[in-house]
Amino acid sequence: MFANASHNSRLSIVAPAPGRVELLARVTELIADLKPDDVDMLKALHRINHEFHYIPPASIPLLAAQFNTTPALVYGTIDFYSELRLRPPAENVVEWCSGPACLLKNSTGIRRALEAELGCQMDQVSIDGKYELRLVQCDGTCHLAPLIRYKGKYIGPLTTSQAIEFARGLKPAPAATEASE
Amino acid sequence: MASYADLRKAADAAWAPIADPKRALIKVGVATCSRVLGAEEALVAIREGVRSRKIEADVMMTGCNGLCYAEPLVEVRLPGQPGVLHQQVTPDRAGALLDAVAAGSAAGPGALAVLGTGSMGDVPPISSLPFWRGQLRRLMANCGVTDPENMDHYIANGGYEGLDKALKMDGEAITKELLASGLWGRGGAAFPTGRKWDFLRTSQRHPKYVICNADEGDPGAFVNRNIMESDPHLLLEGVIIAGVATAADRAFIYIRDEYPLPVARMEKAIEDAYAAGLAGKNILGSGTGFEVEVVRGAGSYVCGDETGLLSSLEDRRGMPKIKPPYPAEAGAFAKPSNINNVESYANAPLVLRNGAEWWGSVGTEKNKGTKMFSLSGQIRRVGVLEVPLGTSTREVVMEMGGGPPEGRTLKAIQPGGPLSGIVPASEVDIPLEPEYYRERGSLMGGGGLVILDDTNCVIDLCIYFEWFAEDESCGRCTTCFAGTRRMVEILRRIASGRGREADIELIKLLAQLSTNANCFHGQGAPTSVMTMLRWFQDELMEHVLRKRCPTRACAGLVRYEVLHQSDRLPLAEAICPTAAVVKDERGMYRIDQERCVKCGACREQAPYAIAVVDEFGAQPN
Repeated sequence: MFANASHNSRLSIVAPAPGRVELLARVTELIADLKPDDVDMLKALHRINHEFHYIPPASIPLLAAQFNTTPALVYGTIDFYSELRLRPPAENVVEWCSGPACLLKNSTGIRRALEAELGCQMDQVSIDGKYELRLVQCDGTCHLAPLIRYKGKYIGPLTTSQAIEFARGLKPAPAATEASE
Repeated sequence: MASYADLRKAADAAWAPIADPKRALIKVGVATCSRVLGAEEALVAIREGVRSRKIEADVMMTGCNGLCYAEPLVEVRLPGQPGVLHQQVTPDRAGALLDAVAAGSAAGPGALAVLGTGSMGDVPPISSLPFWRGQLRRLMANCGVTDPENMDHYIANGGYEGLDKALKMDGEAITKELLASGLWGRGGAAFPTGRKWDFLRTSQRHPKYVICNADEGDPGAFVNRNIMESDPHLLLEGVIIAGVATAADRAFIYIRDEYPLPVARMEKAIEDAYAAGLAGKNILGSGTGFEVEVVRGAGSYVCGDETGLLSSLEDRRGMPKIKPPYPAEAGAFAKPSNINNVESYANAPLVLRNGAEWWGSVGTEKNKGTKMFSLSGQIRRVGVLEVPLGTSTREVVMEMGGGPPEGRTLKAIQPGGPLSGIVPASEVDIPLEPEYYRERGSLMGGGGLVILDDTNCVIDLCIYFEWFAEDESCGRCTTCFAGTRRMVEILRRIASGRGREADIELIKLLAQLSTNANCFHGQGAPTSVMTMLRWFQDELMEHVLRKRCPTRACAGLVRYEVLHQSDRLPLAEAICPTAAVVKDERGMYRIDQERCVKCGACREQAPYAIAVVDEFGAQPN
């Protein structure tokens, strides 16, 4: 019985996680036509990022093989760029513009308020995994400063109070018992 | 293979109905700045409205003419009349605009200016707008006029004429023409473009690469974005001319990831150019071949450094390389390469089309031509404009941009990115020329002017720049990645009231050490702090010695206090994200300093009851 159990547990280690085979097959398909030394690495990373909204770490060895390099160098490349990420984004990602035009118009106050309201520090995920604050660079939409972005929408110019109201709007309505209190 | 004359003829035919419309023409500006305000939806709404209401009108898309503060902009043009520019045409205002057009009037409510010389009713001509007056629009001539996704519009306005001329000249003649014009690199280094191209031209090794640095990473700068999304063919033509002049094989246009629309529009432009035989093998039947492709970055400031960009192209981390060898000898993949800024390439077609003499007829003796600038920060009119070099900074910032908002005064200008330092308001009369900025310890850079007013703390801004330099450091040189971190620590300490006099010497030492960094990212990192020491020492010493922030922006030196009870305080209590506004048993409100994160929301709700207080008392409201 003991031998049998260990045999089973070994099997379960070898068996790939659900979806992993499909994921690797899809990544292989996405990068199949790309070549080393042909300015294709960024293209590959963008394609994977576009498909999965992050770079699944499992795709790193595939990228390394495709580009005649090592997984460490691929990891280093991904890690270098701030728009590429190795973990899936949370359900609600609030992007906070870090640019100087926003800064001069009190984006710091908005940041502090959002951190407190969403329960996560900048570039981190809240403890329930639902909210994420992300620092983004200025893209020159400074006529909206100070601004935040949410699901591709630009929201600004914002007062700190409006930012707090926005963050509260992302949260589910309080349960009936709390409301009747 | 179609010749340039054939292309021009077809393009003229396509442009004719727009140049001289036979029925109403509505142009909707769609660019990054207007898209975020719903310009795309407005375009759809106007198209839909024209169709459903059977209005006799054509609707087309155009780029951004630089008036970001008035977006989304729509131009209405009736036959035989100049166009009228309407501001802030959000989707819900499309109906009102169409009402006016249906009634046969171009100047409905929301009309901003007439795109002509005379006024129309009470709508003034565009030349009377402060933002427009004083501009000399050469690079931006097509911005907001043509459809950026339509190559015919570009050709009909003289596009690709420069390339046609270049194909008939030999490489040396082209670089000589550029050198004669006096064009220097617009990215910040101000190196003569003609000479730079000559390095690549004289190199005999192949393949050779032409690289366009469109990684406009400087926060607060968006001039290159405007060219790429409003007139992508101008840049493309410049890049192809560079390829022809230097006998290069391939071009890479490296665009930052934060610019999705410019990427899309450049790709469309390249596709159209290939289809028309303006790029690819055998350009316009001349036998010269040149490939162009767009490379999309992935979010790294240091890839805007030319050698960092090269590393990024080579499928690696975008770490700047050690020079020499210079890119002209060993650039991308160790092959000869030429790297220029977007604006440098975009000027080349104008030089070739109109001649070096015409091009150099504006500007100053040393600095010829025009330069685009973007205005942002504490300024009334945020936008992109183009002026001759040598225009005074005051004219651009205070007159065209309108200066800081009502009741505030200009404090400083931060030109050209986080590595370029700060110039105080007292120096605002200097001309926009690199030499004058360099004399003041600063750099003119790529053209992003960020304006500070008297509510902004310079220390706070310096912390941001040093943090940015640290965050974006590639990690090669200790003086850069550790030096900037140390600088941030010192500045944060000063901003939180624990500054020491000895810190000034520490900062100077760090700045001295930073000159040993390999690339300009590390070398330029302490510029903002050094200019702060030079121009704003009083403000710094106020933080260090008296533990006081004159603008009360440094959170570590202030606290929020309830000055007196007010009926607005329940609102403050409700908005506080950390429940720091508390009511005691007597019903009196106070602020729990342990909980307060100093976001300032409560003060927005109860501005007269809550004050920002420091050791020297409350700020008067």
